[in-house]
Amino acid sequence: MTSQFQISLSGSDASYACDDGDTLLRAGLRHGLGLAYECNVGACGSCKFDLIEGEVDDLFPAAPGLRPKERERGKRLACQCVPRSDCTIKIRSGAEYASAVRPGRATARCTGRVAVTPDMSIFTFSTGRPAAFLAGQYAMLTVPGVGQNRAYSMSNLANPNGDWEFIIRRVPGGQVSSHLFDTLKPGDSIEIDGPYGVAYLRRDIPRRIVGIAGGSGLAPVMSIMKDSASLPTAGSTPVMLFGGRTPKDIPDVPKLLEGSAAAIEFYPVISAPEPDGSADWSGDTGFVHEFIEHRLSTPLAECEYYLAGPPPMIESVVRLLVAEHKVPASQIHFDRFF
Amino acid sequence: MAFLHLCKTDEIEPGSSLRVEPDKLPPLAVFNVDGEFFVINDTCSHGDASLCDGEIENGEVECPWHNAKFCIKSGKALTFPAVEAQKTYLTRVVDGCVGIEV
Repeated sequence: MTSQFQISLSGSDASYACDDGDTLLRAGLRHGLGLAYECNVGACGSCKFDLIEGEVDDLFPAAPGLRPKERERGKRLACQCVPRSDCTIKIRSGAEYASAVRPGRATARCTGRVAVTPDMSIFTFSTGRPAAFLAGQYAMLTVPGVGQNRAYSMSNLANPNGDWEFIIRRVPGGQVSSHLFDTLKPGDSIEIDGPYGVAYLRRDIPRRIVGIAGGSGLAPVMSIMKDSASLPTAGSTPVMLFGGRTPKDIPDVPKLLEGSAAAIEFYPVISAPEPDGSADWSGDTGFVHEFIEHRLSTPLAECEYYLAGPPPMIESVVRLLVAEHKVPASQIHFDRFF
Repeated sequence: MAFLHLCKTDEIEPGSSLRVEPDKLPPLAVFNVDGEFFVINDTCSHGDASLCDGEIENGEVECPWHNAKFCIKSGKALTFPAVEAQKTYLTRVVDGCVGIEV
């Protein structure tokens, strides 16, 4: 029998049921509440809360999202706490965190895998229910036998067929990505829980869309670029910048967008050119943030930005846009996994 | 310029802060750093959180939500995710009262 616990939010009338084994955060989001969060994996600290009453199990007591001092004062992360009783919690919330599509779990069957760079592949899965999410969101993937789950962004668009596409990078020594690359075969099943994330395409904002990605940050930005094709007043062409280390780390984005009707400007940037200049490289060389101003014909403050990639890339881009070019922070969207 | 009284000096222990909400100004954070007083905007430039709820150490305050650090004296954003400085105010102590020039 599955038991449920009742979770009450201090300072409000809101309460919700949390299924046995579900985290406080995910259960709240499933009930349509806007509990503050970004990463869902214990890294960003956005979902920290005070336990006023009740008992919880902490799945990740060493999660980097909390300082030791905060733990001493009793702070916990809602994304890593599973209730053991009815609870009252004090947590930040906001309408912007409520998911337009309520997250849910589904068993997903692997339907294929295609390499896009030497260490990144597109994995496709099929679920029995429609794939409902906003472009730019992510899902939590759990593989059998590995007691961990990982957040991976969808690179396709919502569809009634139940097709989910993820671009996953092989992380050396990474348990989940190793399983996906080395053990998982077409026909095998995993669990998908989603959608999550607040860095989705704002379809009602008419500003020019700029996607900036590095590494496996490719996935959500691809989804956003594909979705931009369906916007009624596209106005100016969406722009995508992608940073990789060497030429072989740059995926063939125009080819990946074939069949999606998305017409974009794509600017690849590499940070480590071949020392002997042997590789044929006609794109930019340096760090991706150094080329934003150069590649945008539009004033920077008149664009809407979607970022995904390594923490130093995100930090450099945000500093450039907000501190130097006075782009309102509200026009820059990313889920902080650090 | 006029002197706007915010609080008494003895209301704030060294190493702590007080949130004050004057008319026509955003909420302010008054800090006592080793006996010296500083006033900056209380609401973090990054997220909607009160810096008066944050940890104070070595002349820096850490936002209680996303842990961005600010220099209390200069208002400068020292760590991500904050990148914009907190507004600072010219602060004076007159007859045991902390105030700012506005």
